[in-house]
Amino acid sequence: MTLHAISIKVNGQFRAATVTSQMTLLQFLREILRLTGVKDGCAEGDCGACTVIFNGRAVKSCLVLAAQADGAEVLTIEGLNGPDGELHPIQKAFMEMGAVQCGYCTPGMIMTAKALLDANPRPTRGEIRVAISGNLCRCTGYSKIVSAIELAALRIASLKAEDGSWEILGKGKCIHHE
Amino acid sequence: MSSEYPQVNDLIGSRSIRIDAREKVTGQAQYPADLFMPGMLYGRVLRSPHPHARILSIDLSEARALPGVVAALCGDDLPEPGLYGLNFPDQSPLARTGGKVRYVGDGVATVAAQTPQAAEAALNLIRVEYEVLPVVSDMRAAQSPGAPLVHENRPDNILHKAELHHGDIQAGFAGADLIIEGTYVTPLVDHAVLQPEAGLAYIGDDGRVNLWVATQWADEDRRQIAEALDIPKERIREVITAIGGAFGRREDISVQIILCFLAIKTGRPVKFVYSRTESMLASTKRHPFEMRYRTGATREGKLTAMEIELLANVGAYASTSLVVLNTAVTLATGAYEVPNVSVEAKAVHTNASVTGAFRGFGSNQPNFSVEMVMSKLADALGMDPVELRRRNILRTGSEMHTGEVLKGGVGGIQSLEAATARAEELGLRPGRHRSSGRRRIGVGLACGCKNIGYSLGWDDHAGAIVEAWPDRAVVKIGACDVGQGSNTVWAQIAASTLKLPLGSVSIARNDSDVVPDAGSSSASRQTFVSGNAVLQASLEVAEKLRALGPNAPDSAFPVIAEVTYHAPKTFPFDSNGQTARPSFGYGFGCQVVELEVDPDTGDVRVLRVVAAHDVGRAINMTNVEGQIEGGYLMSQGYSLTEDYPLKDGRPRATTLAAYMVPTALDAPEIVPVVVEEPDLHGPLGAKGVGEMTMLPTPGAIGAAIHDAVGVWIDELPMSPERILRAMGKL
Repeated sequence: MTLHAISIKVNGQFRAATVTSQMTLLQFLREILRLTGVKDGCAEGDCGACTVIFNGRAVKSCLVLAAQADGAEVLTIEGLNGPDGELHPIQKAFMEMGAVQCGYCTPGMIMTAKALLDANPRPTRGEIRVAISGNLCRCTGYSKIVSAIELAALRIASLKAEDGSWEILGKGKCIHHE
Repeated sequence: MSSEYPQVNDLIGSRSIRIDAREKVTGQAQYPADLFMPGMLYGRVLRSPHPHARILSIDLSEARALPGVVAALCGDDLPEPGLYGLNFPDQSPLARTGGKVRYVGDGVATVAAQTPQAAEAALNLIRVEYEVLPVVSDMRAAQSPGAPLVHENRPDNILHKAELHHGDIQAGFAGADLIIEGTYVTPLVDHAVLQPEAGLAYIGDDGRVNLWVATQWADEDRRQIAEALDIPKERIREVITAIGGAFGRREDISVQIILCFLAIKTGRPVKFVYSRTESMLASTKRHPFEMRYRTGATREGKLTAMEIELLANVGAYASTSLVVLNTAVTLATGAYEVPNVSVEAKAVHTNASVTGAFRGFGSNQPNFSVEMVMSKLADALGMDPVELRRRNILRTGSEMHTGEVLKGGVGGIQSLEAATARAEELGLRPGRHRSSGRRRIGVGLACGCKNIGYSLGWDDHAGAIVEAWPDRAVVKIGACDVGQGSNTVWAQIAASTLKLPLGSVSIARNDSDVVPDAGSSSASRQTFVSGNAVLQASLEVAEKLRALGPNAPDSAFPVIAEVTYHAPKTFPFDSNGQTARPSFGYGFGCQVVELEVDPDTGDVRVLRVVAAHDVGRAINMTNVEGQIEGGYLMSQGYSLTEDYPLKDGRPRATTLAAYMVPTALDAPEIVPVVVEEPDLHGPLGAKGVGEMTMLPTPGAIGAAIHDAVGVWIDELPMSPERILRAMGKL
């Protein structure tokens, strides 16, 4: 068994560990760091529940080896809300629009939405559907999820016009975890 | 809303944010796989690779000798008889020497090890000698003389038969101007809940086994665990975690018995998480049905007779199949009044996945058939499909084929009119297309009716405790919030009754030591049954607080009310399938679907959907819409893509890549229409909504495909291949 010493910047903090070649990023985040907001729905890239933001892109963490993530910057759902527990506009919009039912797809869906809005701040409903098409939801029929992402885009645009406070999140801000 | 229903405050019918939304959007909600304990072991199960085999021997010695393995056990280590099952015990969590395995995925042996890797390695060291037996795979062949038996004590592989006779079937056909016949077929399908089955068990300081799990009914889990492991139910404490979807699947036992068994045998905490493939292999499915419908109608479009044969594939074990078949019989004529009906129904074993509860519970299959029949009748009579349905739909005063006369809370016609009116506004008119070219547009509609509650003589009840202080309250109830939002409904009902802000009502953890049993989160019953319990308990504590006035208790001593609400009594079938009241209520719905068919490839793309559903009264409008939208899309998957095919008993789609759940790109824009025809007995007039949202979809899609390309597809899923074949292109 080959072991790899890795260091990954997770939610703004460097986390070092020694991992096996087989360990996936999903397992590293859940089992080692206990970031259980990252959900395991299939572990083979089909459901999207384990989506995290990896060097700025939405990635299914079950399809990345932990060793491959050495030196990478990873943002999980746990790193999305502000230091005082203030929710990200996407999180707020998911709550208000009823985009959450069982909640199991929610963290991955929100991370996919964040990567989308970072790259395309004003997507159409069709573009939102394309972006989340790798994230399965069995409860909602997706309508309210698409609406929540639309609402979040509008709100982020108006917040940015004010002071840009949501732009810096996920880009090096240090958030502490137990 | 009529005045007989209590007028509360603006919380009822509101768009209040679900009370668990914050923990779910922040990733803090804990599902069972998110739990860890020091010294915890990892459980795994070895499953049968054979659809039908006798166990000649099981050798666990090598597995037990592997470093890191703490226990390796099989059915021989269980107490006798060690069986479980929802309707009656016929399933063993693990195989015994000399016993049988009956489907691919049947549990054989289990291990607990210090690491997942050791557990995995141990499974590979278990030596099982199988005598492979002939596979029972076809429902009709299963009943022929000399067919191999799945269960030796069930002749002809028949688990259950039901019959219904209403009116005079001969006279009904004699009075018909038109008779149409058809056979309809539906597939085995998987719930594909996003959260694979998981749990954690440990022995508490008091020696009891503690089980943390995601389920639909903790009390029934405990009964089955106790029975299988031969321990008193009181020795099991079950705590419900966040639940990642259920849809009926979590009514059956998955990890529960194995986890308790391993925790008792090892004395250590044990965690067990299914992989996706294990989840698909081992979990229950929806019953495949073969249905023959012979239907008579007058020239004016009045139904005169329906002769129905229902054949349901039970798979390997009984689960809830008796009740599923009885539900299919109760709802065999769908949302319509038919004066003369005969139904013959059989539930047959094969060596396939176990079938059990799945959103709709035996109503989806006959409803698909009935709606195809109605669309074909309209076509044959040259009648507007809306008008044909209008002339036959169940109304207050209608006599159902079970002999029940409907007394009220019947929202069939309201749903039909609401759906078609909204569709008209959007320019959607059923059955008037026949476009040509590359994109053939079609519009179809269908209705549906689903009973609420356990029905047919069960004492359907729920307990609830409300503890209140002047400024806050706690609701204690053993009802599982599987994602549908029931905890938010309890908080809304309690807060509105006690005139508190929603945030001042909390829901106690669903812990069997703390909460009273509230029955299963199934049968679209929780809002109705448990909702009534919470409403009554809330009214009682409100009255007590009022009586105390300024002497209201301080924070240490709440006023408490405990209520067990019993839903209106229902009655079982007599020998003719007749009963004065099979169910205490019904939910109705109507959906209009616009889609396009590519006539060269057979691909179907659904464009727009209007889904109108009578929910009695929406307690939470956002959540009701969410049920409608989600139920519609789940049923679109059932209609067009989802299939769990078996070849000689071997499953061929055990990943989410092979099993085609709709994605956001497959989902149309769904327009939910909430119809509120108050129920006579529901809390504040509310009924249920979960299941009925799936019912109209396959029939509406079938009608729309016919509208687009002129062919009827009588078998689900309506795949491109089936469409092209019907069009004569394959």
